[in-house]
Amino acid sequence: MTLQQQIRRNRLRSGIVVVGFVLLLGIVAGLIGAVFDLSLGVVALLGAGLYAIFSIISSRRIVARMTGAQELGPDQLRPLRRLVENVSIAAGLPVTPEVRIVDDPAPNAFAAGLRPQTSYLGVTTGLLRVMPKRELEAVLGHEITHVRNRDTYLMTMATIFAGVIALVADIGFRMLLYGGGRSRKGGGAIVIVLAVVGLLLAPYAALLLKLSLSRRREFLADAGSAEILNDPEAMALALRRLELDTTTVAYADASVAHLWVESPTSRVESERRGVLALSSLFDTHPPLVQRIAALEESGGFRLPEQLPPHAPFAVELGLQ
Amino acid sequence: MLWLWIALGVVAILLVLVGIGYNRLVRLRNEAATGWANIDVQLERRGDLIPNLVETVKGYAAHERGVFDEVTRARTALQQASTPAAAGEANDVLTAALGRLFAVAEAYPELRASENFLRLQDELTDTEDKISAARRYYNSTVMHYNTGIQSLPWVLVARPLGFREKEFFSAEGDTATPQVSFTPAT
Repeated sequence: MTLQQQIRRNRLRSGIVVVGFVLLLGIVAGLIGAVFDLSLGVVALLGAGLYAIFSIISSRRIVARMTGAQELGPDQLRPLRRLVENVSIAAGLPVTPEVRIVDDPAPNAFAAGLRPQTSYLGVTTGLLRVMPKRELEAVLGHEITHVRNRDTYLMTMATIFAGVIALVADIGFRMLLYGGGRSRKGGGAIVIVLAVVGLLLAPYAALLLKLSLSRRREFLADAGSAEILNDPEAMALALRRLELDTTTVAYADASVAHLWVESPTSRVESERRGVLALSSLFDTHPPLVQRIAALEESGGFRLPEQLPPHAPFAVELGLQ
Repeated sequence: MLWLWIALGVVAILLVLVGIGYNRLVRLRNEAATGWANIDVQLERRGDLIPNLVETVKGYAAHERGVFDEVTRARTALQQASTPAAAGEANDVLTAALGRLFAVAEAYPELRASENFLRLQDELTDTEDKISAARRYYNSTVMHYNTGIQSLPWVLVARPLGFREKEFFSAEGDTATPQVSFTPAT
């Protein structure tokens, strides 16, 4: 699959997500309208639409706030920005994304932004302290692939929509539970049961839509990084290093979990849940072991038991 | 009458397929052209840095004439290279010549301490990294494009339609540099 095909496929998927969202929102608003008042349903629909538009416009800032990513001054961390420049040239991006730093001991990175021109990468200080240059490059390659494939666009849309649906359904559900007696229009018991079930399930449907998209992206981004840098082993080594690391990012807001290279939620928990096929549907990332195995298979190599010794990139940057 | 419609339908479908395939080849060709432009920018930047570097080194080591000539000639050859393959070769020659220039510079402590020299050296290293990054992208676009015009049915009509195979910008071996580490594990 060439790059352009992948981009077009992602655009198509974004379209499907939008349509799915509109349908889901229509159902939720319809249920609210059926149980209470038609006008209330319309209000919910309009409110949700406005909220979604507002979120899309301000998504860049919201992500920065939720992840705690700091902008860099013009002279800070030159070698890091150079590395990003080189990787994005190798990826054929029209512009180099900006780099932001998250002051956190856990090694992790993410990409955000709607278009390549306005995208930025977030890198934790922990990542710089743990990874040698070669593996850091691979991680940057992974994030830049997200930008290049328009994953960031797709995922931002999906996130916002999942959030909006959850919010509207939640409000509707609460109204049904607590305020129901006064304003309820009547209607049969069946309608109410239907509404309860529908309003309860809608957020999960939205979440599943979002997560299934997110997990496939991770494999593609790993493969993209291996292709850009012509070095699948570096990506696998980086993932192994992440696996060995036990710290997780403090700013692990669940709503931005899918953005990171490694899932920032507690690993023990996600591994335990991974036992159950059903509950692994709710993970944002495939297990690292699976991702490493996929790289080993496509690259035709096996990772050594022990990671090679290295000097972390932070040394070159002069970070403490 | 029915057969006429069927024939027309088949022709219409074929035309659509041809259109889609043609557009794909055009797109692949444009991607390769963009890839080449990325390399060209970096090669030019590299060429622009060299006179400055030569002047700086001359200020400290004026009698090392042979190396200066070699670098200058390699630079001219690179700027005159007209095809990607030739540019790749000229670029390699230039890299080797610059290597010798820096080896010469090692013998002059004052030069090595000069801020101007250090900055130029740093910029040149950066440009070399960027050239190899741009090379990877360009070569992958060329591979997609060449595969596109060499596979059926396009191989039959690509030439008459003006799709020529593109050259790779190959240099310094296309494999990733193996990581060799001599430091013992701690």
